[in-house]
Amino acid sequence: MGRIVLENVTKSFGDVEVIPPLDLTIEDGEFAVFVGPSGCGKSTLLRLIAGLEDTSSGKILIDDADVTAVSPSKRGLAMVFQSYALYPHMTVRKNIAFPMRMAGVSDAEQEKRIAAAAKALNLTDYLDRKPGQLSGGQRQRVAIGRAIVRDPSAFLFDEPLSNLDAALRVGMRLEICEMHSRMETTMIYVTHDQVEAMTMADKIVVLQAGVIEQVGSPLDLYHKPRNVFVAGFIGSPRMNLFSGPEAAKHDAATIGIRPEHTEVSTTEGTWKGIVGVAEHLGSDTFIHVHDTGLADTVTVRIAGDIAVSHGDTVFLTPQAGQIHRFNADGLRID
Amino acid sequence: MSDRTLPRLLQTPAVVLLLIWMLVPLSMTLYFSFIRYVLNNLRRPEWTTPSLSNWRGFGNYEFVLKSKDFLFAIQNSLFIVCSILILTVILGVLIAVLVNRTFPGRGIVRVLLISPFFVMPAVNGVLWINMLLDPVLGLQGLAVNGLNDLAASLRDAPLIGWFFSLWPEFEPISFRATQTSAYAVIMMVTWQWTPFAVLIFMTSLQSEDQQQKEAAVLDGASTWAQFRFLTVPHLGRPIAIVVMIQAIFHLSLYAEIEIVSRGNGNKNLPYLIGEFANNNIGAASATGIFAVILANIVAIFLLRMIGKTLME
Ligand SMILES: Nc1ncnc2c1ncn2[C@@H]1O[C@H](COP(=O)(O)OP(=O)(O)OP(=O)(O)O)[C@@H](O)[C@H]1O
Ligand SMILES: [Mg+2]
Repeated sequence: MGRIVLENVTKSFGDVEVIPPLDLTIEDGEFAVFVGPSGCGKSTLLRLIAGLEDTSSGKILIDDADVTAVSPSKRGLAMVFQSYALYPHMTVRKNIAFPMRMAGVSDAEQEKRIAAAAKALNLTDYLDRKPGQLSGGQRQRVAIGRAIVRDPSAFLFDEPLSNLDAALRVGMRLEICEMHSRMETTMIYVTHDQVEAMTMADKIVVLQAGVIEQVGSPLDLYHKPRNVFVAGFIGSPRMNLFSGPEAAKHDAATIGIRPEHTEVSTTEGTWKGIVGVAEHLGSDTFIHVHDTGLADTVTVRIAGDIAVSHGDTVFLTPQAGQIHRFNADGLRID
Repeated sequence: MSDRTLPRLLQTPAVVLLLIWMLVPLSMTLYFSFIRYVLNNLRRPEWTTPSLSNWRGFGNYEFVLKSKDFLFAIQNSLFIVCSILILTVILGVLIAVLVNRTFPGRGIVRVLLISPFFVMPAVNGVLWINMLLDPVLGLQGLAVNGLNDLAASLRDAPLIGWFFSLWPEFEPISFRATQTSAYAVIMMVTWQWTPFAVLIFMTSLQSEDQQQKEAAVLDGASTWAQFRFLTVPHLGRPIAIVVMIQAIFHLSLYAEIEIVSRGNGNKNLPYLIGEFANNNIGAASATGIFAVILANIVAIFLLRMIGKTLME
């Protein structure tokens, strides 16, 4: 079990209110991802749930029990840190055993769980090494192993993969996803990475300055962003947002069109512009178009390759039904 | 000229200087330890000038080995050094952990904590033995007298009087006595060197990873378990440094021993050398060679024990 509910939770450091009153429910077994710009309070929120920070007001419930005043170790949660936070003087085996040792688990039981965790995480050959002798990916796996053996009701991850290189990140991402589907334990995951958020989450929580902008499934957020901020934040490359006369034509204060929902033609189209930089990725091409009269640059994404180069004139056409409209308060108009 | 020659040549002056610096005193000591050499002898005036014709072989060594204070001086050297090491490390760790927290006036407290280290050893000795430990005029004497007076005045009080009438009369301890002078030296040197340990441990504590501590909190570690399993291993290296440096320094304690009891009941090898050197330079030199050997044994022992922590 691991249903986590925040009720009216606030957090201030001195005079600075980092989290204004906030409500959030994470269902049992759900994979929730917190995203948002740097400094928006993702880590703070996670630490509040873990109990590493005290709430300034409000309640935190885990499985309907009020844990606001309960010490971190009694909440039954496990956390994996960005810097791994392994104990450098202990071997991998001792690191993984540490929470069980603190809980007074019998030696035989410890051995059994260590062996199981090591097998699941491919660490069997490294059990007698110190953390300093491991690669970044192995260290992260040890940190996860240390979390697993406690059999927690929820896992908290604070940007666990951001210190790894791109290839390892993809591998670990899959491992964590598999772990989630195998164990069906609640997971809360903080990340900067769009791809991680979109691929792993059951539910994405978009935060800005401590305020929840939108909660929903990845595709919900992609297709129906609730406001301009979410529209601009979710999706890569970013959605193109225009205000002014072009928006007025659609009876909105701001309109948005995703780069992948824009057609490009060299002969005819709705908007005319000049090609700036074209990024050829092979599978896709990103074209940054200037002088459209809409915004500084309009980004377009087309599948495959296209023969345009710097300075060419191109025409852009939004796909029908893919324009997002927002009112003067930045809220979505359906 | 091969690639190596020029650097070697350039290093030579430093190496030669170091060799002279070490070798000259050492070989002179060795030389004196094998001849009869005294400062004053009316019957044999030829012994007062060092010369090979006064060759005595291992006679000086035998003389030192048979002198009644030699074994005691070695034991006492080790006793004093080990006691100081244990006390400074334990006190140092405890104080460093306490002072590492944030509290009002932390800056001043830290400066005050460090200050004993800047007192000269001789001054330290005089301060302690006269002002703190003196059985009559020192703080110790005053405190013991005060306690006795208090107990005496409470003896006639109603209800609790019987309790204090059973108390014994306390006797102040004389720290210049044969049995206690070593303790006085241990106390004053510990007082002086604990700040050194605190300083080194404090710097190390500040580099401790806070996320590790948070992980430990989540893993259910109590404050004691965090100290035992995270802080103490983290301090392994600085403890090794403190032990090494202090072991080297305290094997050559002199001023405190001289001031407390003039060696009465409390000698170490350097003090023994000093006593022999009043007249018998040959014996003093032989003792010096023994001191070098002892220092080397201690150093090898320490390197075996601690070197591993340092090299990791
Ligand atoms: N201990 C603290 N004292 C004062 N302010 C703090 C403290 N911890 C965090 N803050 C502030 O709270 C805000 C949120 O910080 P937080 O670490 O939660 O951001 P974040 O969303 O995790 O950012 P990032 O993505 O860069 O990790 C920041 O403005 C930060 O300056
Ligand atoms: Mg963060």
